[in-house]
Amino acid sequence: MRVDYRIERPVALAASFEVEGFTVLLGASGEGKTLLLRAIAGLLPARGKPFDGLPPQRRAVGYLPQGHALFPHLNAWQNVAFALRGADRRRQAVEWLDRVGLAALAERRPAQLSGGQQQRVALARALARQPRLLLLDEPTSALDPATRDDVLAELIAEVHAAGIPALAVSHDPALAAVADRLVVMHDRRIVQAGTPAALHARPANGAVARLLGHRNVHRGRLLGKPDAQRLLWPDAKMAVPVATGLPDDTVVDWHIAPEAIELHEACAAGATDTDGLVAATVEVRQAGEHGGYVGLRCGQARLWAKSPSSHVTADDVRLRLPPLAIRCWPRD
Amino acid sequence: MRPRLTTFAAALALLLLAAPFAGLAIATDWRHPGFAHGDGGAVAVSLGLSLVALLLIVALGTPLAWWLARHRVRGQWLIDALLLLSLLTPPLAMGLLLATMYGPYGPAGQLLERAGLLLTNSAPAFVMAQFYAALPYYVLAARAAFEGVPRELEQIALTLGHSPARSFFHVSLPLAKLGLAAAVALAWVRALGEFGVVLIVAYYPQGIPVKLWVNLQDIGLSAVYPLLWVFFLVALPLPLALGLAVRRRLA
Repeated sequence: MRVDYRIERPVALAASFEVEGFTVLLGASGEGKTLLLRAIAGLLPARGKPFDGLPPQRRAVGYLPQGHALFPHLNAWQNVAFALRGADRRRQAVEWLDRVGLAALAERRPAQLSGGQQQRVALARALARQPRLLLLDEPTSALDPATRDDVLAELIAEVHAAGIPALAVSHDPALAAVADRLVVMHDRRIVQAGTPAALHARPANGAVARLLGHRNVHRGRLLGKPDAQRLLWPDAKMAVPVATGLPDDTVVDWHIAPEAIELHEACAAGATDTDGLVAATVEVRQAGEHGGYVGLRCGQARLWAKSPSSHVTADDVRLRLPPLAIRCWPRD
Repeated sequence: MRPRLTTFAAALALLLLAAPFAGLAIATDWRHPGFAHGDGGAVAVSLGLSLVALLLIVALGTPLAWWLARHRVRGQWLIDALLLLSLLTPPLAMGLLLATMYGPYGPAGQLLERAGLLLTNSAPAFVMAQFYAALPYYVLAARAAFEGVPRELEQIALTLGHSPARSFFHVSLPLAKLGLAAAVALAWVRALGEFGVVLIVAYYPQGIPVKLWVNLQDIGLSAVYPLLWVFFLVALPLPLALGLAVRRRLA
């Protein structure tokens, strides 16, 4: 489904993109993502397709705002039944709750449900309305970190099972990673769209890379012609060799994957080629399921590097940033 | 404040509140209650006409309160000032203003009288006096009640296919219920106990507050107490029950 909306107030915003399966609109806070959802739901004066000009009650959308907005004076099944008509409402409502695995909690009030359960009741209520489009506002924001991956997987499975296109707006890279399709918004316009894999492989610019959760995205300036180019990194007050096709003096956002950074303990730095070796201090050591990372202070800036298999004990280290591992995007 | 000091202050406040009623209990001649002529009629007038006034206040005040809670317009302060003005005006002065406007020589009064509605010393005048005395209190309390309803829930009701009217009756109203109950109780107490406004525009028919005054003038204090007891008996149940319901729900 094609979404094409233009908002004038309270901020000017235009967005046009395709919603397929579970689509995530990724953008920083303050981009107007919630406004866009509210505009599509008809809760904000705006023009655009689908549903142009219809009052909210005649738009076939299932809107799940942040915090889920369950009616506190109604229990779970009554919340779902709110979207239904007719004498058979109760049975249908319990059926919808059953689909999201909550039939046993049909008599509970929203306050007696966990965040994830509330979200599923809200989803059941939105689906019961038989929408043509689901709208989800920051669906991961209220979830408990320990269970959120499972809750998220369940949410997406339910959206797929319902067969209704869903548009989730978020600034959460973890949600973006599990989308069928990803649309990235920056400076109130769409800057890139595609599958998460394609976007992770080739972010269109530094802002997209940051939103995708890439670490080590910094500003810099290129010095010299493409064949003998250096990247000046003002925050760290240093320059490293780099290989790009961009002209001299281009202001860039640049990125290097933590895995690509070579880490040397300072005392062992007897290498003959000292060019491009960066002095850094270990600020934090991060242990995780997929190996460790270290947060390194370089001047005013921070770089994250994958910990080598041998544990880094020294606090002062030297880094090598392989020129081919550095990706540069010219800034507009 | 130290806990013991708080308890002492609270007990003192309660004691002060109770003092006049203790006085009433002592002063009442329990063996010979001695109702004055017309006391029964005053009770009927007060109860019946206050109920009518209360219905009017709720019917007209609720939409206004909801509108005020949900809309911001330019010159909003004028509306706020108008509500405050109605609260602020001394009851006697409000009675005089009503007489000026709706009395036999008032611009609205003359028009309405031609239409058959006499707003001086009549049942409609009595209701009008109570309406003016209690409406601003009801509107302010009801507005606060509606302001406590998250707007998002009303909007969600719309996205679920309900009309604004259904959204109001099924979401806004139930969620504002407790605050509205308090507002109704407040309006009832204000309307029933009103003396100043009623005295000017509706000396007749006599409700309890005016009859208390008349009994005092004609007979003396002993004729005030029995009617006052009856007043408490008929006036208290509604706000007390509403208040208890609110407290139970909050607990």
